[in-house]
Amino acid sequence: MPMNAPFPAVRIRDEFPVFRHHPDLIYLDNAATTHKPLAVLDAERDFYETANANVHRAAHRLGSAATDAFEGARHRIATHLNAAHADEVIFTRGTTEAINLAANSWGRANLRPGDVILASVLEHHANIVPWQLVAQQTGAVVRPIPLGADGNIDPAAFGALLTAEVRLVALTHCSNATGVLPPLQPMIAAAKAAGARVLIDGAQGIAHAGVDVRALGADFYAFSGHKVYGPTGVGVLWARRELLAHMPPWQGGGEMIDRVSFDGTTFAEPPFRFEAGTPPIAQAVGLAAALDWLDRHDRPALLAHETALRDRFEAGLQSLDGIRILGAGTARGPITALAFDRVHPYDVAQFLDGYGVAVRVGQHCAGPLHQWLGLNGSLRASFAAYNTGADVDAALAALATTLDMLA
Amino acid sequence: MNTYPSPFDHPFGTVLDRDALAERLTAAAGWEAKNRLLVQLARELPALPDAYRDDEHRVAGCESTAWLVIDRQAGRLLLAADSDSRIVKGLLALLLTAYHGRTPAELAGFDFEQWLVTLGLQRFLTASRGNGLRAMARMIHAAIAEFSH
Ligand SMILES: Cc1ncc(COP(=O)(O)O)c(C=O)c1O
Repeated sequence: MPMNAPFPAVRIRDEFPVFRHHPDLIYLDNAATTHKPLAVLDAERDFYETANANVHRAAHRLGSAATDAFEGARHRIATHLNAAHADEVIFTRGTTEAINLAANSWGRANLRPGDVILASVLEHHANIVPWQLVAQQTGAVVRPIPLGADGNIDPAAFGALLTAEVRLVALTHCSNATGVLPPLQPMIAAAKAAGARVLIDGAQGIAHAGVDVRALGADFYAFSGHKVYGPTGVGVLWARRELLAHMPPWQGGGEMIDRVSFDGTTFAEPPFRFEAGTPPIAQAVGLAAALDWLDRHDRPALLAHETALRDRFEAGLQSLDGIRILGAGTARGPITALAFDRVHPYDVAQFLDGYGVAVRVGQHCAGPLHQWLGLNGSLRASFAAYNTGADVDAALAALATTLDMLA
Repeated sequence: MNTYPSPFDHPFGTVLDRDALAERLTAAAGWEAKNRLLVQLARELPALPDAYRDDEHRVAGCESTAWLVIDRQAGRLLLAADSDSRIVKGLLALLLTAYHGRTPAELAGFDFEQWLVTLGLQRFLTASRGNGLRAMARMIHAAIAEFSH
């Protein structure tokens, strides 16, 4: 593909069968979950048709084919992330389980009474609650990283929080509610310099930014397959090999052991130590196919396309009254979050749904952020590869009609 | 004696009865007209006095907040409700229409969900949308059962 060519969204839409079943669907709820291209659906189906067996128990040919497919997926995902080693990729059910793994394994082994975990006000509940639970168990405390007036984190204010007690910084790559992009690089650098570990919640980053975990410099990176054109039920926790080597298991069962006896059990090496039970095998294969699918495209052009859709939407909003764009003055991913002066976001979404426009309303599992915003809820439109300018224009027209109707 | 304004001063269930509302909803063909009518009904339902917009009367929903007041006078059920969402408030107006001012005997066997289906509002009863409304209908039926004892 030539560089700088516009992203071929209209053609790409044809690769997503959901739009054959819902040809008029204007799907702007991509931050909740993306649709799946044929390449992903085919990969999962192909796995079940040609290689289905349980993994790592290969006394027969399908078993080794399944293990090859699963471990091959791990390698491809490691490559996509630019991880140093494939065994730094741990399969989980999703972002939520990935963060719970880090909190339970790393957290319980390393946190002591008085230790501090910093989590930003932008965080999804999935990057707050697991830390609160482990804090209760260890005597550590969770403190918020506040936001500046622009709705983003001020690196200087963050720096002031980095006392010697801070053990871990839990930070989103991109806010799922407002799309705000915190200043990751300076924050990671400052946290590392202060001796803290950093976990990046990549649920909203992975589909838009090219993620290079080595360049990023964080200790953990968590994401979900279903938000990056892949299957539900699979996600990844990436962590450095040296870190994983010293982390204890958090769930017990098959796959994660070296030797079991009633006198004591020894545990397998990472990543298997953290993958108790039968993993999501076909889903891991599907996730690798999703990342391969992404990598076949011109990623900068894709991000430019998604950002242009967001900007077109926001330009169109200027002619409508009583709407505020949240985080408008700071760096954001391809997400637009709106607050309304006179109408309830739920009512707007009910009308939009009637017109075939799918958006999300509510607090988007970001309670602290909405408390900070002073809002009960907001309305979010989020953009992906298969969205087009026509989607944006239709959504704007539907929104204008809706606001008239509710006026 | 309380000096609060009565929350039960609204037309739903008294001036506007089930038949009148059913007629208006049936006349509203299509989702858009029905949504508009719900918004209109919300306008006809006076705001719940502030004194009742408290935790005791709040019915938590994920995407909007609703308040429901249940009382009884002279053997009749008294209901008042409000929501920050107008569509939800319109649905609450239907809830009041069905139950407010009725005796337990009059309400025996009445199925609110079924009534909404006959009014063409089944899309508000799906698993993801209908929880709050169903919970309120259950609260009302629990109150009726208590009154009848
Ligand atoms: C920023 C962020 N973190 C975590 C999650 C949780 O992801 P999952 O539900 O796939 O585990 C989400 C999904 O909504 C998210 O947007």
